[in-house]
Amino acid sequence: MSAFRVLEGGILSLAEDFGRFGLCDKGITNSGVMDEYAYMALNFLLQNSPNTNCLEITLGGLKLEASGACTVAVTGAKFKFLINSKKVGIWKTHNIQKGDVLEFGYAQDGARIYFGVKGGFDIKKELGSNSVTIKENIGEKLKKGDILEFLDHDISDCNIYLKKKFVPCYQKELTLRVILGYQDNFFPVQELEKFFASTYTISQQNNRMGYKLEGEKIECKIDGIISEGISFGAIQIPKDGQPIVLLKERQTIGGYPKIGSVLPIDCFKLSQLKTGDKIKFEVIDVNSAREKMQKFQQIFRDSSC
Amino acid sequence: MIEYKIASVDSIIVYFANSISKHSVAKVQYNYAILKQLKNSAILDLTPSYTSILIHFDLSRYDCDSFIDYLKKTLCFDVKEETKKGRLVDIPIYYDKEVGFDLDRISKLSNLGIEEVIELHSSAIYSVYTIGFLPGFAYLGEVDAKIATPRLSTPRTKIPKGSLGIADNQSAIYPIASPGGWNIIGRTYLDMFDKTLDGFSYLNVGDRIKFKPIGRDEFIKNGGVI
Repeated sequence: MSAFRVLEGGILSLAEDFGRFGLCDKGITNSGVMDEYAYMALNFLLQNSPNTNCLEITLGGLKLEASGACTVAVTGAKFKFLINSKKVGIWKTHNIQKGDVLEFGYAQDGARIYFGVKGGFDIKKELGSNSVTIKENIGEKLKKGDILEFLDHDISDCNIYLKKKFVPCYQKELTLRVILGYQDNFFPVQELEKFFASTYTISQQNNRMGYKLEGEKIECKIDGIISEGISFGAIQIPKDGQPIVLLKERQTIGGYPKIGSVLPIDCFKLSQLKTGDKIKFEVIDVNSAREKMQKFQQIFRDSSC
Repeated sequence: MIEYKIASVDSIIVYFANSISKHSVAKVQYNYAILKQLKNSAILDLTPSYTSILIHFDLSRYDCDSFIDYLKKTLCFDVKEETKKGRLVDIPIYYDKEVGFDLDRISKLSNLGIEEVIELHSSAIYSVYTIGFLPGFAYLGEVDAKIATPRLSTPRTKIPKGSLGIADNQSAIYPIASPGGWNIIGRTYLDMFDKTLDGFSYLNVGDRIKFKPIGRDEFIKNGGVI
């Protein structure tokens, strides 16, 4: 078995897959990749099965050395990717030789980079998943000296690219679509109007748990609620009126009122934004939302990408 | 009372009551058991709480309407039984301003001395209503109305492991360091989350809890960290 040796861990490099399900009743969060689009593209390029593990590299700084030949792919944020100090492209596969050094520069457009190897890394699953959740003491971030093994595999001659129209262009401004629900009735109409008319700024408090926003304060008729389950993308309004969009490592239960939930595919886009970027919200009805989700899930099902 | 509410494109929250009571908890636990026993692979996650269950379903198998129809046929709303009495568990707590950052705030809001706040909190017997928010985070009820205190308007970005808090009439211990908005009144040296424990949690739903005030020396001697 060959491996990558970690020469530099970067800011936050984690092994992830689609996440851990069926354990919310024990207080264990789903975790998993923040940007499922980039993750699905990665496994598509590598012809891996959809839930094959990868590395999620937040903001960059990772440096690896290969001990054997392999096929890898990189998707996600735009950044300077170097193989043996030579700049190469992303959203494509690369054939790596023994001794090659891979350097992940810092993300320019976007925030999270996805890196995978054909067949996946040989990592033991915990509670049914390879997803690291630091706050639950499930796995750790990569650090210098770590070894990431992978199964040796045949290397094909040609590199696979993703067609240009499937490569996203990460913006600094986004409109997120919201399905109203939860405590939406407890927000006065004028407060909901204010929420949907405002532009919010992403605060420094943004991470895998959620993104706290800054902007117009939203008031709710109630201060708190009886603690209840929180879905992916839920928009929570704490007492200071500044919305929080809850993401992959959200707490399973919480006691702040919620307006509804951001469409998951828009949460994936949000995960590529950074401190200072801008957000607006708009309503989407639940049937259109479902159609968009189903369309999304079909994107990498055929091989014409 | 029964209400089905959309939580997201692929989840429904079912409310069984609009206030916390032994009866609401019994209804939730009963229906949670029903859903769990179904072993329906289209149910991806279940999150039971005091009065509600959040259900995350597979969007390729149901939409919100058809899933609500399915739940209506499956759930039981005529639950009479009360939750059975669980084991009694003592939890040592170092109650002090050194680790209880909000003792002053609660004292001011309640017009009680800090000693009285501690006395009221540690003399009650609580029961575990649900586990969630974080692994092993057990929600305990009910806190004496005199010291019930709303959450902080801005959550703290980091609350130390083992911290004991109050939010309205609920109490809980943070099993690991985490952001949070509860009023912190003390700390335990016990490990509330351990992957080797059944359910990964020191406490289980239905347990009854008594907090035992301890001094600084005992806290430190047993591995407590300031």
